[in-house]
Amino acid sequence: MQTFKLLSAFFKVNVQMALAYRADTIVNILLNLMWLGWELLSLNIIFSNTETLGGWGIGELIALLGVFRLVNTMMIALIWPNTEKFNQSIRDGSMDYTILQPVNSMFLVTFSRITVWRIWDLILAIVLIVVGVNMSGEATTALHILTFILLALSGTIIIYSLWIVLIALTFWFTKFDNNVTILQALMDAGRYPATVYPVWLRVIVTFVIPIAVATTIPLQALRGELVIGQVLMYVGISFVSFWLASKVWKSGLKRYSGASS
Amino acid sequence: MLLIIKRLWQVNWAEQWQYRANLLMYLLYWLVSPIIYLAVWTSIANVKGDVNGFTANDFTTYYMVLLIADQFTSNIVIHTFGYKIQDGSLSNELVRPIHPLLTNGLVNNIAFKALTIMGLLPIWIILFFLYKPDFSGVSLSGIALAIPAMILAFFTGYLLSAAITSLAFWTTRVYSIHEFYYALILLFSGQFVPLTLMPKIVQDIAQYLPFQLLIYYPVQLILGKLSSTQIMQGYVMSFIWLGISWLFFQWVWRNGVKRYSAVGA
Repeated sequence: MQTFKLLSAFFKVNVQMALAYRADTIVNILLNLMWLGWELLSLNIIFSNTETLGGWGIGELIALLGVFRLVNTMMIALIWPNTEKFNQSIRDGSMDYTILQPVNSMFLVTFSRITVWRIWDLILAIVLIVVGVNMSGEATTALHILTFILLALSGTIIIYSLWIVLIALTFWFTKFDNNVTILQALMDAGRYPATVYPVWLRVIVTFVIPIAVATTIPLQALRGELVIGQVLMYVGISFVSFWLASKVWKSGLKRYSGASS
Repeated sequence: MLLIIKRLWQVNWAEQWQYRANLLMYLLYWLVSPIIYLAVWTSIANVKGDVNGFTANDFTTYYMVLLIADQFTSNIVIHTFGYKIQDGSLSNELVRPIHPLLTNGLVNNIAFKALTIMGLLPIWIILFFLYKPDFSGVSLSGIALAIPAMILAFFTGYLLSAAITSLAFWTTRVYSIHEFYYALILLFSGQFVPLTLMPKIVQDIAQYLPFQLLIYYPVQLILGKLSSTQIMQGYVMSFIWLGISWLFFQWVWRNGVKRYSAVGA
């Protein structure tokens, strides 16, 4: 309950901040539409030259774009702005105030900044997924949809955990501003099915920076390509990685000594 | 003047060197999308034999050369300069008797380039052994022709970016405009796919824009894919656009500085 109250408070504050820059918000939405146009155009260019990409048709690629945009929205709306705030708070010592609060510091660090207008991006992403699945013309069962949602969630949790570990490293190496660039850099790999990548790149986006776990794999579940064992494995991994991340975060916090002391 | 440039180089080189870890990260960031496009297109070409005449090897060589050409011709002036207008720290540079963007900013960018190209080399060699592309179309004369073309393109790109960055004199926040500009580059430069595979209308427009000079033109020059008339046309376009971007930058800068009121003063 307290968590919920805090979340809505954060949300309100961020709505107010966004309202202070209305023109900026509108421009951002327009830019967002422009990128959507570009993404659809690039898919169109690809599929005017081929019928399938790694066995996937255009419908599936549009759905994948939707899933990618879901993950990407989490990144842009939560992770990048909070990373920026976090890095600054380590540099100038304002992390002190975060730790002093009687709330889980990992929670505070995750949600204190929200790029509110991005919510509309989530709707767009869901539209893309629905349209894409319909275009692909495959029979999707309720079970497939359920595993899709489950795996999209667990993939998101895995990436979130990786993020926590990456920013927690800042506690050890104070000058580590680029802590999340590697995550940001590889994000784009989520736009296309990991099955078309060469082995080394597939290994990277599945095991090292697991973007594909949150994009390609949920979509494979939607297409009914995964067996129950695989689904359970990914869900299990998400629990383990979340647990590990909070361990790393806690031991990182112990290293924190303020900026001036 | 030479001494000033030499000192600026020492300072900027040291500054960039200090951030070499960051630099490596930027490089990684830069590398990912060409490598993804490479993977996508070679996988299509492998299935179909060729895409509009492009074989898998053609795509591999295209993107491998693109990595180098993009490093040579791109710039980071929006990141190194945009905030100075925003937060007013430009004032310190304006009182100096040298042009902030055409000397310090330029040298800073070139130092950045030099370091990233040093970082790119080993990665490029690894990619070379991963993909084993067949570079038989590349000739020394092609490379010799491409180098001046890339230098011209770098200056054109730099002046255009500098002009767009200077729009911050009016709008303070300039990142949205830059994002739009970046989308134009993506669409018209041949970064996503060799321009000949783009829709006809995009190709027709791209011909007259400076963006293809940044990537498509030098890459095709190096790969030896252009006829001598096309090479001539490319050079003519390079000079025309260098002139236009010079005038554009001068105009924006001159009017912008007049408007500048130094935030915080």
